[in-house]
Amino acid sequence: MVQKEMSDGIFNITKGSRRGLATKNLDPGAGVYGEKLVTIEGNEYRMWNPKRSKLAAMALKRMRIPIRHDSRVLYLGAASGTTVSHVSDMVPDGVVYAVEFSARTIRDLVQMCERRSNIVPILADATHPSSYAHIVGPVDVIFQDVAQPNQAKIAIINARRFLKNGGHLLLSIKARSVDTVASPDKIFKEEIRTLEADDVGFHVSNRQDLSPFHEDHMGVVAERKIVKE
Amino acid sequence: MINVKIITWFGTLELDDSEHLVDCDILDRMDIDHLARRMREIQQETNDIPPAGYDLCDAAQECGFVSNGEEYVSLLHQVSIQATKYGVAESYTPDMRIIQAIGTLDDLDEAANLLSERLSEWYGLHFPELDKNTEQLANFVATHGSRSTLSAEDALFEKASSSMGAELSDTDETLLKGFAQNISALYEDRRRIEDYIIGSMGQLAPNLSDIAGPLIGARLISMTGGLPRLARLPSSTVQVMGANRALFKHLRSRAPSPKHGIIFNHPLIKNAPWWQRGKIARVVAAKISLASRIDLYSGRVELSLKDDLMVRIATIEAAHPNPPARSTVKSGKGKSKGGRR
Ligand SMILES: C[S@@+](CC[C@H](N)C(=O)[O-])C[C@H]1O[C@@H](n2cnc3c(N)ncnc32)[C@H](O)[C@@H]1O
Repeated sequence: MVQKEMSDGIFNITKGSRRGLATKNLDPGAGVYGEKLVTIEGNEYRMWNPKRSKLAAMALKRMRIPIRHDSRVLYLGAASGTTVSHVSDMVPDGVVYAVEFSARTIRDLVQMCERRSNIVPILADATHPSSYAHIVGPVDVIFQDVAQPNQAKIAIINARRFLKNGGHLLLSIKARSVDTVASPDKIFKEEIRTLEADDVGFHVSNRQDLSPFHEDHMGVVAERKIVKE
Repeated sequence: MINVKIITWFGTLELDDSEHLVDCDILDRMDIDHLARRMREIQQETNDIPPAGYDLCDAAQECGFVSNGEEYVSLLHQVSIQATKYGVAESYTPDMRIIQAIGTLDDLDEAANLLSERLSEWYGLHFPELDKNTEQLANFVATHGSRSTLSAEDALFEKASSSMGAELSDTDETLLKGFAQNISALYEDRRRIEDYIIGSMGQLAPNLSDIAGPLIGARLISMTGGLPRLARLPSSTVQVMGANRALFKHLRSRAPSPKHGIIFNHPLIKNAPWWQRGKIARVVAAKISLASRIDLYSGRVELSLKDDLMVRIATIEAAHPNPPARSTVKSGKGKSKGGRR
């Protein structure tokens, strides 16, 4: 039984037949979406399947996940909270602002939030950050997985308003939702170009194809470096 | 020096031009419910939002709303959960009801067809000569059960007494009767749902109902995901809406290939001569778009819409009384003499 921290709050676990990524359960005894719970040396971990989470896939691809125990994270495209719950595990002393625009999907997320005090659920459209600007403050990390067109643009307008200087963007780009005919490669390039061209100050430090966990998806890590005027 | 007013979830603040807090009007932190309702309200407002990068957590402490960061997150957590719950409840709008009702209608059709076919198979072993299906079959079996119960006056008595079908045991009869009653009830439900849609459409979208008919109107709302979205679509899209779905179905299951969107079920189009249909569809679609916009923005009933539509259709009919001559030559390019279009 081994448990090695591969990044703050993300563990690589081997126990019997169970192996893979996991986060330390902030709400011991309770699972969120049917994931397996594993206890090692008195700590309970929740197994984290990279096929169900872009963020887990990014971690497995050895991308640096700059989330710390006290990070403030803005999570765009929270859905029912599968990945949000793991981010919540990773920031026991921080906060996750979880934005989702589908009332149907956010229902599960709300139920989970009742048990996890570091999540702030927000029913809002990520293309209109001003609709949650009275709620969300500056953040260290933006994680975005909205699977819809203009992904880079959405990241930019949110970063401009909420991302601290030196803060990081973790972006999952889905090729098929941007354009159905263009090749994924072209779309990835285009979106990254949009990110870097904008004066919001993004520097892309890493990008990885997320296959075989997610086809036609690219994970991007970027840092916001504003040159002081 | 100009101060700005900003709105936050915990109150209204005043900042000077270097973003320092000069004044604040904070809300009662004990009243989670009020905070949550207000949070929901201010989400619709995009005025007076805090400047980019403004730290609300620090400000809340400076105002004395909370005494530390943990308290801030804990309170924000509670309030945002409640606000999101209100948001989820608000999402159950009249057009959501219509969308669900249309979905229910389709599910009922599918279920009723499937079960009727089964009933027909099973009951057919007993009374193969009975020439009924779907609702009529279900009603027949539900009331009569075995064919031997038909009286001599019944029109089907002859067929029943000379049937080649097998006998039906008491157990089987009871079972099939119950099954048939349930199927009849599905058809009954279907009518109720249809009435419900017609009634709701009359309230939500009277103009759209008037132009498209309540059921087609409801289907358009359901396909686009709501009246606001439908109102935003160009009428050229409205005209072909529903065609893609039919196309996929066609590709998957050899259903007949679709020519048109769902508005082609409109009686004004369906009953028109084939050469006028496209033109009529265009004006119907245009009026549908207009009607849905009026429903969304004013809600007033505009009877002139329908009148105007009828006038336009009459013009089309007058202008194209006869089918266009079919060109016998394979239409060669460049050779087009601009036949009737
Ligand atoms: C691929 S799913 C996210 C899955 C989630 N990140 C996870 O791993 O558990 C994309 C979600 O983004 C939401 N979404 C899409 N566009 C959005 C927008 N403009 N604002 C907020 N949410 C959006 C969708 O409703 C959907 O739930």
